[in-house]
Amino acid sequence: MSVMKTTRDVRGVGLSIPRPDGPEKVTGHVQYVADIKPKGLLHAKLLRSPHAHARIVKIDVRKARALPGVRAVLTAADIPELKRKAPTRAHAVLAIDRAVFAGQPVAAVAADEVAIAEEALDLIEVEYEVLKAAVDPLASMKPGAPPVADVGTEADTSEALAHSAVAMAKSEEATGKGVNVSQTAHVKRGDVAKGFAESDVVLEHTYRVPMVHQGYLEPHAVLAEWDTTGQLTLWASTQGSFNTRSEVADVLGIDENRIKVIPVECGGGFGGKIRALCEPITALLARATKRPVRYVMTRREELEAGMPAPQVIIRLKTGIKRDGTLMALEAETVLETGAFSGTVLAVAAVFLGSLYRWPAFDIKGSEVLTHKPSVAAYRAPAAPQTIFAIDSQMEHLAREIGADPAEFRARHLSRPGEPMVNNQPWASMGAHEVLARAVEHPIWKKRAEWKTSGGNGHGLRGTGLSLGGWLGGLQPTGATVKLNPDGTLAVLTGQVDIAGTNIALAQIAASAYGVDIEKVKITTGDTDVAPVTGLSAGSKTIYTVGVAVMQAAQDARQQTLAVAASELEAAVQDLEIVDGRVIVRGMPDKGVTLASIGKKGNLYMSKVQPVLGTARPAFTQQAPAFAAQLARIELDPDTGEVKLHDFVIVQDVGKAINPLAVEGQMQGGAVQSLGIALTEALDYDAEGRLRNPSLLDYRKLTAADLPNLETIIVEVPSPAGPFGARGVGEPPIVPAPACIANAIHDATGRRLTELPLTPERIALALLDH
Amino acid sequence: MAKQILSFTVNDEAVDVLVQPYMTLLDALREDLGLTGPKEGCGTGDCGACTVHLDGMPVASCLVLALQARGRSVRTIEGLARAGELHPLQDAFVRHGVPQCGFCIPGVLMAAAAVLAETPKPSEEEIRYGIAGNLCRCTGYTKMIAAISEAAQGAQR
Repeated sequence: MSVMKTTRDVRGVGLSIPRPDGPEKVTGHVQYVADIKPKGLLHAKLLRSPHAHARIVKIDVRKARALPGVRAVLTAADIPELKRKAPTRAHAVLAIDRAVFAGQPVAAVAADEVAIAEEALDLIEVEYEVLKAAVDPLASMKPGAPPVADVGTEADTSEALAHSAVAMAKSEEATGKGVNVSQTAHVKRGDVAKGFAESDVVLEHTYRVPMVHQGYLEPHAVLAEWDTTGQLTLWASTQGSFNTRSEVADVLGIDENRIKVIPVECGGGFGGKIRALCEPITALLARATKRPVRYVMTRREELEAGMPAPQVIIRLKTGIKRDGTLMALEAETVLETGAFSGTVLAVAAVFLGSLYRWPAFDIKGSEVLTHKPSVAAYRAPAAPQTIFAIDSQMEHLAREIGADPAEFRARHLSRPGEPMVNNQPWASMGAHEVLARAVEHPIWKKRAEWKTSGGNGHGLRGTGLSLGGWLGGLQPTGATVKLNPDGTLAVLTGQVDIAGTNIALAQIAASAYGVDIEKVKITTGDTDVAPVTGLSAGSKTIYTVGVAVMQAAQDARQQTLAVAASELEAAVQDLEIVDGRVIVRGMPDKGVTLASIGKKGNLYMSKVQPVLGTARPAFTQQAPAFAAQLARIELDPDTGEVKLHDFVIVQDVGKAINPLAVEGQMQGGAVQSLGIALTEALDYDAEGRLRNPSLLDYRKLTAADLPNLETIIVEVPSPAGPFGARGVGEPPIVPAPACIANAIHDATGRRLTELPLTPERIALALLDH
Repeated sequence: MAKQILSFTVNDEAVDVLVQPYMTLLDALREDLGLTGPKEGCGTGDCGACTVHLDGMPVASCLVLALQARGRSVRTIEGLARAGELHPLQDAFVRHGVPQCGFCIPGVLMAAAAVLAETPKPSEEEIRYGIAGNLCRCTGYTKMIAAISEAAQGAQR
């Protein structure tokens, strides 16, 4: 997997080419799951627990079953596959005898119409015995807290393995220190106590980031149908059809061969559509009714019972010398995982302890169960929250000793080869490069002028800088590239394309094979036809599937050249592909067209082998990718309202395969990040019920809240990525919360440590002192 | 409840359809007329994915009862392109690489078309407020604003 250069003059890698399905998307013709309506379709609805923690005393579904138009009503008693101690939410298809979060499904209905299914839910009688709920994660860790999981339920660490690929030594401490502590991690190096004793400045803050929702516009949706031979087809809105197949097969206890997952256009996922959620119950309803059943979650269900990002609470204590020397860092991280285990502890430790070179650190992490919906990945899981803590802390430390905040970061920022907290070396990365580019920007250079430029105006002005990133995901994957009889190429993977990755993969195939992009068609196959392909997650599609496509295209190229060599009676190394023909180098008249090679591989009685390039790479080397962001704000000291004037994203992408798509990722990620910074929080009451289950009250940023976002692409090639590319999706969501907090600090002198940075919090902070 | 006849114009064609009195315009379009371009992102009028034009005005079709459209004219995303040509807004969205997941795009385009119908030369702020009722989670809006601005300028020529 050497870094390939585009030596041939083809239209491929590096060009800003709009995605070919654009016209389908702007005309409304693209079909999502909810748009598919097979004959005999039934509609599913779920009855959900109104209580965060309750014993189910009795369920009576007789009236619901008797309603005309109702085709099936299921409770846990009707599902023999259901087991206690469900390790994941997908396994807990319906609550058995205890509901563990408000919104957990307790019964399911399939009916001729949505309205009939909804009416049937009203007719189901459930008697609950309401139990005390563990709502606050810190209280939930303490002895005497109401237990969330059944005794003996194992922690689920598959998310961490699938998504972040960070190897961490298992904690030596026994789990179960607190009743609801489902995972722990502990890393330390050096003498922390001595470090603090020798420090001139010791700073301690507790940072809090609430649960937030990924916010994809298309709610979870699935369509399930069984055929008469017992084959299940799922039309799914998923980030990974093979993962969906595995999870559903495991929950239903059937062979994966009996399930075909068709990845329908996915209306956004951001980590929330990796794990199975509503697929198993929909499949069970389809089995019970022998009809196709479609289930589409409502937005309220998404917010109340989706799989949001964990609440993260980080107590961070740091000590430095007056001259800026780093001495010691101590951190306690609590990730609230909701009712089922599944967070990523390792990422937090890596960024807290080893993004900057702390000579001594002691970092403890706990995953804590509460009676809330269980969490899942959200674009760079745990990274925005962790960077909010460490970057805010670095900024505050710099200000305490009167150092330039950018220089202070650059002085202590780790370099490739230096150890991470797990003692593995940092891989090649462009963290220093993006920071250096950011500080050259006029917004940073003119921050003093901006601060005082308000004149007689009432507003307080400030500039923020922050730096954060992502370690990069890995997953084995496959791809094929075949030559068609007309000389065009067909690329096949199982990769779910949400953000525009298919056009970039096609560009890689074009450059690696040696034809223009117009000659390449790429298809996302279902799980029956596509080679095994990883998740669309972890910023690894281009980094891993891109390698598979590149290698498959190179393989197809070699096969093509071999056929041509025998036709032209020339050596393979003397051949090249130019303008759709294989020619002998320097002899443009002596050649054979790609079409003729493709035809011969597809002719009756032909003795020429067809060209079918394949690749099935696995990976060991991550490619960390970093972004620096700059914000210029003005805030109203009376109302606390922040107006964002300018925002800049500087990101190392290794190599921009398709700069247009890369910019879209940078801008979209930044706005999600700004939402985490400024407005978004799932707000629970003391009983564990969500107080803001609508998009009116769960406030996402709109076009009217934002300025144009400037993007600056930096290219520090990765050693193993295709053409040097790194993952692009995750880094831009990481820095903004710290960036805005730093800008507020610049404007007001106040350090805010709890997200979101609402007008109320800011105004109250200004009243202090 | 008995179904009632809804006679109205959809994308310039006269249509008769039987609907339940409680059915929304969005459901009638999607489920009965097969026009699945308008999307349901929230069902409560907060996300804008279901935006269509009702007598030329942008509305959240999830908040309109189907029978309220009786005798009126509805245009959906499927009716934005005319005579086989993409609308200038659609063309600009494609070239600027706006669509990512694409789920919000039909609603955003209908909102943007309404902005341009009312204000042929909108300022950036007018565009931003004009589509402020449409949530997008993928794009960060920047390319959207650029595409709408460009389409507006093209329309003046």
